[in-house]
Parts: sequence; structure tokens; C-alpha cells
Amino acid sequence: MDICFFAALIIYFLASVIQFVASAMKKDGLHKIARVVFLAGFVLHTAYTVWRGIVAGRLPLANQFEFASGFAWAIVVLGFIMYSRLKQEWVMTAAMPMTFLILSYAAFQPMQIKDIMPALRSTWFALHIGSAAFSYASFAISAGLGVGYLVQLKKGKSADDPRMKQMDYLGYRVICLGFLLLTVVIFSGAIWAEQAWSSWWSWDPKETWALITWIFYAIYLHQRLRLKWQGKRMAWLAIIAFILVIFTFAGVNLLLPGLHSYATT
Amino acid sequence: MKKVLSYFRSMTFGMILLVIVMALSLAGSLIPQQEAAMTYVNAYGSQTAMLLLGLGFTDIFHTWYFYTLEILLCLNLLLCSILRFPKTRKAGERLKRRAQEAALDKPFHYIEEYQKITSYLSAVHFTKAETSNGALVYTKHLMGFYGSFFVHLSILLVLLFGSLVLMTPKVTDQTVMPGEALTLSDGTTITCDSFHIQDETGKLDYASVLTAASPDGKQSKTQEIRVNEPMRFGSYKIYQQTYGTAGRIQITNTENGAVDVQYLTDPCFLSIDQRNGIYFEALYPAYYREEDGSFTLITSTDRSYPDPVYRIQSITDGMSAAVLAFPGEEIHMEEITFTFLDPAEYPGLRIKHVAAWLYGGLYFSFGLMVAALYLCFFTVPVAVKVTEEGYTICSSKDQEGLEIALAALCAEHGGQRGA
Repeated sequence: MDICFFAALIIYFLASVIQFVASAMKKDGLHKIARVVFLAGFVLHTAYTVWRGIVAGRLPLANQFEFASGFAWAIVVLGFIMYSRLKQEWVMTAAMPMTFLILSYAAFQPMQIKDIMPALRSTWFALHIGSAAFSYASFAISAGLGVGYLVQLKKGKSADDPRMKQMDYLGYRVICLGFLLLTVVIFSGAIWAEQAWSSWWSWDPKETWALITWIFYAIYLHQRLRLKWQGKRMAWLAIIAFILVIFTFAGVNLLLPGLHSYATT
Repeated sequence: MKKVLSYFRSMTFGMILLVIVMALSLAGSLIPQQEAAMTYVNAYGSQTAMLLLGLGFTDIFHTWYFYTLEILLCLNLLLCSILRFPKTRKAGERLKRRAQEAALDKPFHYIEEYQKITSYLSAVHFTKAETSNGALVYTKHLMGFYGSFFVHLSILLVLLFGSLVLMTPKVTDQTVMPGEALTLSDGTTITCDSFHIQDETGKLDYASVLTAASPDGKQSKTQEIRVNEPMRFGSYKIYQQTYGTAGRIQITNTENGAVDVQYLTDPCFLSIDQRNGIYFEALYPAYYREEDGSFTLITSTDRSYPDPVYRIQSITDGMSAAVLAFPGEEIHMEEITFTFLDPAEYPGLRIKHVAAWLYGGLYFSFGLMVAALYLCFFTVPVAVKVTEEGYTICSSKDQEGLEIALAALCAEHGGQRGA
């Protein structure tokens, strides 16, 4: 079944390339093909994830590979939901390459299915890790939209263009969703940590970086809501914030060992 | 004073505090925390290590300035929450008044449009109110005004309850041998009925069956505890924290037939008369027998004990001799027989004494914050004034999301009007 995973990876790459070509050439037909290809990748990806879950007998989100795969899967789900509501191609232009990049990272991680350690056998597992996958996916899309916004700006589009405004606004809205989910991640993690390790907060590197990320997005939201920052500055902030997310997700596990170190294997 | 208060409740001050907390957290995650001083000297050199130690960067989350930051953040949240509340409370009324006074900017062309719009608004759960001049004002999501207030209040509560939960509990780590009991300071007893390290499928999972009883013995509870499944008994919470392996020795008095089994964890002297006995030094998990018949003792085998061996000193009339004893072997000294038994595993428990209401407060704050964030981001307060001449939409959520929310509503209504 690993072939499904790699096939999905290649198909996501193809979809991203077609989407970029379609955007550059302004061909609606190509956009449609890109979406169909992307959907095909998603079907394979879902099949692989379901198979892995059945074989492992648990939610397949227990290690770095599985979480990265779930993270990429969540980007596709959010991308399609947003596209179905807005019918804007730039949503998919942001989601497709992000999915491919995150799944590429997963491809470099050990793929063996292993039993999970006793500490992970908890009812909080699904809520904590599931909301983390969708929270990170929201942030990934907002960063993708930020990049798209800056590229369009560079190409000469005005910040007052309604499409640019919509892109900027949508970037903010997905951050709202991601921020809410990140809060759920932190709180469910705290309750779980209290059950497992007797302390709801122990300044473990993963906890600390989740807090750093949360504070950064809180600052983003305050700048947006109170100081009315918009456009270019917010696009840059969304990109920088996503770098923090990536470090919290991958960097902390690789560089800062702590209570969450089991997630590296 | 007014200026100072105004600054303490300002967003600028809050943002500055958040940036400092973020920077200190970053430093705290990159610099190893709570290590011995020599670790820092070896890692960073003596000068940098002295600087880090002096600034408290080696235990940054427990420094006075970190606590001060938390207190200032609480103050900022408290002031902005309290002072924001009266304004928040009146926001709904203000929005209704604004809608009442607003000029109609979307005129109806047919009377059917009026009916369509009013039935649509009722269908999507707007609350209707009739004004004195005959206009209808429909409102929805007025609770959304409270979102920001509740978010700040809940952060304050999380900080308060979180600090109390972290700082107030009395935590003790205890080991208890299977079949033995611990008595806590208030007289509560915790008996370890059994301990095992595998679950029913053979996978590694440490579990203890404990019985807790109140000092008067009227209340008791038996539960199997393992990671993720602590036991709550009164104000106590008991966790399966760790485990260990202890040697076991059976002491038999051949004269009166008395038998006693003792666990051996630390070096100790098992004496008959203070002169004769055995001195337990250590229990080794395994050994290797050399070709010349001597033994090499193995100190680590992934915490399992495949071939255990006891290292003891046999002491007779003040003279000692080093002896290796294997499970099943016996040593006779006058009327006493020491029999070495297979080692036993025992749990390490963490016993936490904390008031349950503190956890209740903390978890309530968590729930409140999630709900408040939902209110803040996903419910846009909106009012629609409708008369037979036309309608207008008002939303005083002073964010740029307003325009898009209005456009979406207009588009929906436009579709209805077209029909």
C-alpha cells in the first residue's frame, strides 16, 4: 500500500505544476484539470491513511511521518472546503504546493507502523493530534495565501483590487480558525499531560514552542483587529508565523528533546 | 494615576508583555533548564555560564522577572476586561438604535421583496423587534459582542487557576511494595494490591492495583492505575509514575517457625544480634561466568532481570566475606535461615494533594476560552432594518470583515429579489 502514498505524492506534485501553469496562462480548463488531478491524489492519500489506520488499529497520527501525512491531508480537506465556498482559484494555488511540500517531508520520515507507547493510549489523543493537524493546515493555507498575495503584489496588482482584498481577508479568516484549533490543541494537551504526567504544564520544548506560536498569532490578530494592519504586512506575518509552526512541528522534535520526543520515530 | 491606568490597560502594553514572554520562552527552550552549573560551564564556557546563571536563564520560567511579567499580564487583562465590559454590554443596544436610525439603502421594487426578506430573516433565526415608527429591526449574533471580552477574561482565569494548580499542590513521590501500604500525613492509607508491567496483550504497560482508604476507614476505593489513568481519592490524585525492581529475602527462624519476607532496595544490614548477619550491597540483573569460574556482574539489561544475582557480605563474629547469592540459595546462621527469592517489581507512585475545585476552575477557563474565541471570530453581530420601502444592514463589529459579511447577505437577498 505504500505505493498509494508515493503515487499521491507524485500526483500532488503534478497538480501543483498544472495549477501554476494554469495561473500563468490564465486557462480555466487547466485549473479544472489541476483540481481533478489533486482530487485523485487526495483519494489515494485517503485510501492509504485509512489502510494504515486499520493495520495499526489506531488513528494514524502517532509519529512524525503519520502526523505530516495527516497535516497534508488536512490541507487538502480545508482547501476543497474553501474552494467549494469561494470558487476562487488562488485557494487551490495556495493549498496544492503546501500539500506537496508537507507530504514530501513525510516521505523522508520512517514509515514503519509501530505500536504506540502507553502514554499515547488516551481518549485525548484524537482531539489533541486531530486539531493540531487541522490547525497547522489552516496556518499552512494562510502562509500559502500570504505568498500568493506578495507574488501578485510584485506582479503589479494593486492592494485595492477586490481579489487581493479577498485573498488578504481569507488569510486572516483561516488564521482565526487555526488559532481557535491551536487553543484546543494546547488545552487538550494540558488536560492530557495532567492525566499522564501529573502536571498540566511543564515547559517542555514542544509546549513552549506551541505557546510561542500561539502568542505570535495572538499578536497577528491584535494587529489586524485593533491596529487595522492589512495587506503586505499581514502576508509577511502569516509567512513568518508559519515558519514558527514548522519549527514547533518538526524542528522541536529534531533539535530540542523533551517529553514529546517519541513523536520523532 | 489615570494615565498610568490607561497605559496598563492599553493594547500596546499587552503586546509589549507578550513579545517579552515570547522572547524569554524562546530563550528558555534553547538553553537547557534546571541543569547543574557544571553542565553550563562545559557547554558554554565559564564566562557565558556565569552570565546565564546570574541572569537566571538556566531556570528562566521560575525567575522573579518571569513571575512579574505574568502578574503584569494579569493586570493588563484584568483592567482591559473590566473596563471593556460596560461598553460591551451596551453594544447590542447601540447596534439596534443605529439600525433604527439608519437610512434605507436598498429600496424594494416590488412588495413581494419585503415579504421575501422578512421571511428569509425569520428563517435564518434573526430576532425581530418592531420600532415606534413601524419599521422592523432584525438582529442576530448579538452575543458576538462579548467574544473579545470573554477571551480576555478567560486568559486571565487560565493564568490564575493555572498558576494555582501548578503552585499549590503538595507532591510526593513514593515507592510501595506489592502487598504493603503507605500512610499519608492525614492518615489516608494507600495499599498496593499488585503491580504488573504488561497489559493483557503482552505490551509494556505499567499498572498497579491500589486500594485507598480514608483515615476512619469509612471510605475506600480500589482501582487499577496506569499512565493516563490516575486514581482520584478525596483531594488526592495518585499516578503510576515509575517502577523499580527490588531484591526479596525470606528470613526464617527455625526455632519458632516465624517467617518474614523483606524487600531489598538499598544497602542494609540484616542482623541477628548486631554482630552476625548479612549485609545486602546490591542486586544485579545478570551475570557472565568467565572461563576461570569467576563472575562478571552486568549492571544494565534494559531494566529487565533475566539472571538476577545478589551481592552480599556474610558477617560472622565481625568478620565479613563477599558472597554472591542466587535466587533459591540459602544461608544459615545459627537458628536463622536467609533464603534469596526472585526479585519483585514495584511501582513508584506520585501522590498529589490538590483541591478539586482548582482543576474545575482551570478546565472551566479552558472551555470558556474556546467558546469565547468562537464567539469572537465566528459570530458577527448584525442588525437589519426592514420597512415596506426597503432595507438596510448594519453591523457594528468594527472590523473589516463587516464589508464582506454585508456583501454576502446582500448577495443572498439579491438572489431572492431577482426571483
